[in-house]
Amino acid sequence: MKLLGIDLGSRAVKIAVMQNSEIIYKEIISTISFYKNYCKYNNGKIVVDLKKIKCADFDKAVSTGYGRNNTDLEEFKPINEIKAHVYGALYQTNLSDFILLDVGGQDVKAVKVEKKIVIDLELNDKCAASCGRYLENMANVLEISLDEMGKYYEEPVRLNSTCAVFSESELIGKIAEGIDMKRLCAGVNYSLYKRILPMLKKFNDSVLLMSGGASNNQALIKYLQKDYEKVTVLQENQFNGAIGCCYYAHKFLKER
Amino acid sequence: MRRIGVTTTIPSEVLLSANCEIVDLNNEFITNENYSALIDMAEKDGFPKSSCAWIKGIYGACIDNHIKEVVGVMEGDCSNTKALVEVFQQRGIKIYPFSYPTDRKLNMVKKEIDKLIKLFQVDIDTVEKYRLRLNGIRALANNIDKLTYIDNKASGFENHLYQISCSDFNKDHKKYKTELENKIKEIKHREPFNQKLRLAYIGVPPMTGDLYDYVESLDARIVYNEVQREFAFPRADSANNIYEQYLDYTYPYDVWFRLKVIKEQIKNRSIDAVIHYTQAFCHKAIEHIIISKEIDIPVLNIEGDKSNVLDARTKLRLEAFLDMLSDMKGVRG
Ligand code: SF4
Repeated sequence: MKLLGIDLGSRAVKIAVMQNSEIIYKEIISTISFYKNYCKYNNGKIVVDLKKIKCADFDKAVSTGYGRNNTDLEEFKPINEIKAHVYGALYQTNLSDFILLDVGGQDVKAVKVEKKIVIDLELNDKCAASCGRYLENMANVLEISLDEMGKYYEEPVRLNSTCAVFSESELIGKIAEGIDMKRLCAGVNYSLYKRILPMLKKFNDSVLLMSGGASNNQALIKYLQKDYEKVTVLQENQFNGAIGCCYYAHKFLKER
Repeated sequence: MRRIGVTTTIPSEVLLSANCEIVDLNNEFITNENYSALIDMAEKDGFPKSSCAWIKGIYGACIDNHIKEVVGVMEGDCSNTKALVEVFQQRGIKIYPFSYPTDRKLNMVKKEIDKLIKLFQVDIDTVEKYRLRLNGIRALANNIDKLTYIDNKASGFENHLYQISCSDFNKDHKKYKTELENKIKEIKHREPFNQKLRLAYIGVPPMTGDLYDYVESLDARIVYNEVQREFAFPRADSANNIYEQYLDYTYPYDVWFRLKVIKEQIKNRSIDAVIHYTQAFCHKAIEHIIISKEIDIPVLNIEGDKSNVLDARTKLRLEAFLDMLSDMKGVRG
């Protein structure tokens, strides 16, 4: 049985296919390109051209994500985003108690899971200063790749602004002061960490799982390792939501 | 008639024997249309921001209702009551202290009740007569509980309301008895509810009464209200006298004694998950550490503060929790 999961993110659409409990196919498409090139519109409904995404012969399909409510994908069962991510983490780790931190392009979720069920959560989707987009912008200012920037964590230069836009000018000011590139990078990473921290404050479990684009940031992981006994970046950190959709279909969805 | 305020359920039998009207200050607070003005009143009189809304509300309700005499439960209920009572004293309110002794021994409970009997100048025979009469009313409230978890006809809120009101029998036990009888008749005629998930509610009664309707809108129902049920003394008929009855009352004693009954009820009522309500700034929130570990089904801790309706974040948490539970239940069922 083939199970299809789609996570409609704000920046990218993630697709995963599961067969016999294994993920057999993954694809990531930019959100704009997904709607422009892979969808047709039928009486206000969005029909995904499944052939184009090479997933025509599925048995069950589940969708989640930012676009879940305003884009009603035909043939897909929509599920809540938090749930999709938790199922993704349950599938990938088999743990029953953990904190899941998902730092996406435009939102951050911190979810506390106990006995395999969400019991608490913090969401930040109002401001860009604590999510992946912030890192991208800052890397652009520094004219460095995201991966390179994420390597530096020592002696972070202080960036005090709580706002993503003001942080940019603050960073430019620091560049002008002639501060070392490594410290500038570390400063950006540390400022993200500091903004995420209050969301995690209440969740003092020992295991932290990370997903989403910013979980590739090595410095962020380094900082979080001081707060948690164990920090694990999910292997499929980008596809966690889509995998969660497949897992949901596998465990809970009746056949169409 | 003398009106006596109470800070929680106390041996009502004694006060009624002395021909007093019992006024549960918690109920006066939470049913007041202007409940938040009562909190403000307490803060204006110096109650700190960091004390819970119930304590402030009780204070406000007492002053607002011009209550001149209060039975204050000094031990077993709330550690803040002691200071509250001292403020009452300063304002010229007469205090009758009562305690649920920490070590829960029959002779200690007897001593406390006898003290109360003496303070109100009544005799044990009258008290016992009242006990039997009140237990008749409590049995009716118990009936509503059964209509909730066996017949599935009473809503979670009705279950909460009719049991919690047994702390003062709505200030008039005769009228309350008739009200219960009518309610039971009405409920019996209903079609049963059919929500998929069965929940337990444990901890102090909620500030946010809309919790019940909200979970019902999410295909779940609260079929057990821990403390409210205790207020209605569900095991009253197995007690030989008032002392035994108040000894076998879980809420004011230690958490282990409470947990024993909670666990029994989770099993008896086929409960899928537990909502543990705690009040902001309440020392009882610490008990969640124990409770969440001791109970082997999922436990969600929600916290109320000054508002009497659920906030958006709590709603989201409840929704996510119930959503996943209902997936699991689908598998099992
Ligand atoms: S909520 Fe807690 S602190 Fe407040 S009155 Fe009740 S027991 Fe006391």
